[in-house]
Amino acid sequence: MENKLRKSLLLWLALSPLIIIILFPFAVMLSTALKPPLEVLVYPPTWLPTELHWQNFSAMWEAARIGPAVFNSTWVSLAATAICLVVAIPAAYAAARMEFRGLKLFRQFLLVTQMLSPIVLVLGIFRLMAKMGMVDKLPALVLAYVAFNLAFSVWMLQAYFQTIPRELEEAAKLDGASAFQRLRLVFLPLATPAIGITAVFVFIYCWNEFVLAMTLLRSPEHNTLTFQVFSLVGGRYQIQWEQVMAATLVASLPVAVIFAVLQRYLVSGLTVGAVK
Amino acid sequence: MSGAANPSANGMGSKTAPYMLILPAILFAFWIIGYPIYDLANMSVHSVNRFGVTTTFNDFNNYSRLFSHQLFVGMLVRTLIWTFGVVVGTIVLSVPVALILNEKFFGRQIARIIIMLPWAVSLTMMAIVWRWSLNGQSGMVNATLYQFGMLQSPIEWLATAGTAFPIEIAVGILVSIPFTVTVFLGGLSSLPSDIFEAARIDGASAWQRFRYLTMPLLKPFLNIVLVLNFIYVFNSFPLIWVMTQGDPANSTDILVTWLYKLAFRYGELGMASALSVVMFLILLALTITYAMLAMRNERRN
Repeated sequence: MENKLRKSLLLWLALSPLIIIILFPFAVMLSTALKPPLEVLVYPPTWLPTELHWQNFSAMWEAARIGPAVFNSTWVSLAATAICLVVAIPAAYAAARMEFRGLKLFRQFLLVTQMLSPIVLVLGIFRLMAKMGMVDKLPALVLAYVAFNLAFSVWMLQAYFQTIPRELEEAAKLDGASAFQRLRLVFLPLATPAIGITAVFVFIYCWNEFVLAMTLLRSPEHNTLTFQVFSLVGGRYQIQWEQVMAATLVASLPVAVIFAVLQRYLVSGLTVGAVK
Repeated sequence: MSGAANPSANGMGSKTAPYMLILPAILFAFWIIGYPIYDLANMSVHSVNRFGVTTTFNDFNNYSRLFSHQLFVGMLVRTLIWTFGVVVGTIVLSVPVALILNEKFFGRQIARIIIMLPWAVSLTMMAIVWRWSLNGQSGMVNATLYQFGMLQSPIEWLATAGTAFPIEIAVGILVSIPFTVTVFLGGLSSLPSDIFEAARIDGASAWQRFRYLTMPLLKPFLNIVLVLNFIYVFNSFPLIWVMTQGDPANSTDILVTWLYKLAFRYGELGMASALSVVMFLILLALTITYAMLAMRNERRN
């Protein structure tokens, strides 16, 4: 017991430099977000504010137009996640459960599209959206997010689907269940955890995405949260850092909490998908 | 798995069923990803004005202008420094962290959550917070260093050519650690414990077990992490864009930030499309490497 205690202390000590650096930005966020505006730019700065200035949060919500941005981000991310799953689940089912000519080609196609990042194609995507008259429209973002998450989703899902035993469906078939019944009553319930994990990853991607939002959106009222927070610091001379930090906190906290709570499932899910 | 070859066994009887199931995904990819690739490739070999109207085939003039541009070599060199710096730094730090997190100790779950935290937060937010932390007058980095007597006068970290790029590489490493540690942890948990036991009984030291057992067995995971990180970091845009936008004096500009400026600031659509194609080909080469590694692993399993 004492041995384990000593080992624990040593290992925590070894990790401590990295842990301090990782937690540092979170401490800065919290500290600045709670400072009265006059204390933010003093030299030398201090960690603790003289009073907790919660008004920063209401100020940033209205003045920095964070409210509408949260709304935009939420619906874009939800719509993209839903469409992505609707398109990816059948494809993953086929890739995991059926043998067909071109399956190998399809898997290679997935790998290649998975590697492409929006930044390399951003000019082409902008031109495509311009041609379709969708620049400065949020559905353009939904389409692009679906496209850039499809390969990843199909890949993750098919890796999972392969681990669901086929025998259960075959037993249901012997009992006279139709193909649709088997899919709905046997397969999908077993696949729910995999679908959930994939959905969380896609949602986080959309919530955090930056380049496409910056390129495709024009009017401030359409901004997603990530891009709106950036526009508070990009190209301005007077930056209200206490509001910006309050906004980054609001933008990061929900995702960080989801991630921390689901950490174990997300990580094991990703290793199934990434290494397979 | 013997039923796989028999289509009737999986219930969706007809031969066309699998194609119908993958068709929407393929159409989507061709529409939103395939067409832009075609469009960029097409634009890159034609004359194009700043409004994006293409005219005649121009004998690869866009490419020759790109490669002979006075900034090109610098961009390429910095991209290599950035990519190698972040990837190598990440792996060197991630191996010991993964080994530690694989041990059993008090609070391991909390340690894991903290180490994974930067993964959940968007790169944009991370970059914004670091930009503020590194502020010369009011940033907490200078204040903390000053408090511990490690600094005499404030440094404008991101406005100084000599410090901005190394700092960005350091932040790049920080945000790449979670994914890398995750893959290594997955690898470590898949290693058979009995051979480590046997080695210990045979008198192998901890270092010898690491050097001759852990590292060789982790090699497939190391390969995958190397290639994937190369692809991610090579493509990484928000960190640099938010912290410095390539300034001061292009000293932090890499190919992706330059590409964005060529396309959306300078209106150099011909060069931008040529650069897109070049970067696409580099990524394709990396992806093929990755695919070969992944298939080799799959065969081994």
